[in-house]
Amino acid sequence: MKPAARRNGLVVRDLPDELIVYDLDRHQAHCLNRTAASVFRGADGTRSLDDLGALLGDGFDRAERVAAVRMALGLLGEAQLLEADAPSGPASDLSRRSALRRAGLGVALLLPAVASIVVPTPAEAAVTCIKDCTGQLPGTGCNCPLSNTAPPCDNVCFPDETCGGAGFCP
Amino acid sequence: MGILPSMMPRLRHGWASSDRIDRWAWRAGTCFDAYGVRVGVRFNDPALLERLGPHLPPGWQPCASSEVDQIFSVWVSPRGARARTVGRVYAGGQRRALAKDLEQAFEVLESEIRQTVAAAAPGRTFVHAGVVGWHGRAILVPGRSRSGKTTLVAELVKSGAVYYSDEFAVLDRRGRVHPFAKSLSIREGGCARHEIVRRRRAEDFGGFCGVRPLPVALVVLASYRPGAEWQPVTLTRGQAMLEMLAHTVPARLRPEASLLALERAVARATVLQGERGEASAVAARLLEQVRQPAGTSRVGAGAKGMR
Repeated sequence: MKPAARRNGLVVRDLPDELIVYDLDRHQAHCLNRTAASVFRGADGTRSLDDLGALLGDGFDRAERVAAVRMALGLLGEAQLLEADAPSGPASDLSRRSALRRAGLGVALLLPAVASIVVPTPAEAAVTCIKDCTGQLPGTGCNCPLSNTAPPCDNVCFPDETCGGAGFCP
Repeated sequence: MGILPSMMPRLRHGWASSDRIDRWAWRAGTCFDAYGVRVGVRFNDPALLERLGPHLPPGWQPCASSEVDQIFSVWVSPRGARARTVGRVYAGGQRRALAKDLEQAFEVLESEIRQTVAAAAPGRTFVHAGVVGWHGRAILVPGRSRSGKTTLVAELVKSGAVYYSDEFAVLDRRGRVHPFAKSLSIREGGCARHEIVRRRRAEDFGGFCGVRPLPVALVVLASYRPGAEWQPVTLTRGQAMLEMLAHTVPARLRPEASLLALERAVARATVLQGERGEASAVAARLLEQVRQPAGTSRVGAGAKGMR
């Protein structure tokens, strides 16, 4: 098994211990921790899992490294950062929780992590929701919740000029 | 700022045309520049031009040329007409709103102009965020509408911080923040459906507006929950960039430049994420955080994990 990470259609920013990858095709952005970043950089279609494990640094045995590489490939596959035909295996081969239970703190440092977001459109990022749907076009965002993790507007204006959806009034 | 010139705008060569509505009887227009974006506005009623000034983006400048990057159009029903819709607002050829009164029409127009400037400003990356200055460095509060940005910014200004924006952090290529000091939009009322939005100046809170660009010292990703204790976790630089990218207006249009500006903005900043209670209880702690030398803070000692 010699996996290959995607190289095309991505904008990549190298940080000291992380990697930010912007997928231009899907408008998703990913933050890879050190282990996931090492596997992503190293997976060029010529390296085996053992070879990729060797990139993760000293202080871990072979089985630990290969397990971490498999898990990283699973996460990269979920994030669609591997070539379409690259074998990745499911991320659940070795869940983070069970890995932490089985191994000590040292191996926990090897655990790969990938955080992802869907990048907003300009309108979504800049939107200011309206409170009154009277006269607004259907679909106009309205009645936002008090949260910065929710979508820009929780509800939308309906054709009958009411604001619908899962309303939120404190 | 200057006096708005009276001239009918036309799109720069090569920009999308709105020719369907170009044929309507526009009777007054003007052109201005904001953050390097040339904007035109036209009306079918010349009297409306005089009402436009307060709705322009901060820092606008009159344009000598009538060639613009985007045209906004406001068509109002003739006085005395018994129309349910008083005003129609267009961005290019796209209708954006059917307004029941002029106030609503100008409100939509103002928001549309700001969004266009935020998306298209050359050399600037607009992040939806409140901003204040403190001891020569900036505190950013990114967040969606109604996430409590303005409330926290107002509280920080009351506590002595310098007002920069309650809507956009304008980042340059070096990651410094420039002011976008429009009036603060303070929401009053218990429910989104019944609230009133009041415009307040920084001076109303005993503060003033900043002018010069500042490096970022602190980014606060706070969601409001009544009664919550502010116990934030500290994000890594990558996590911080990802969180801020979710509020970055031109992220899809210019991902490389956006990421570079964000990377430089957070390079020397502490980035905290957590739930907050009342803004008054958090503001002093945030200001204290910035006053301390980097790396000595006890706030946000936790670390955030990733999937």
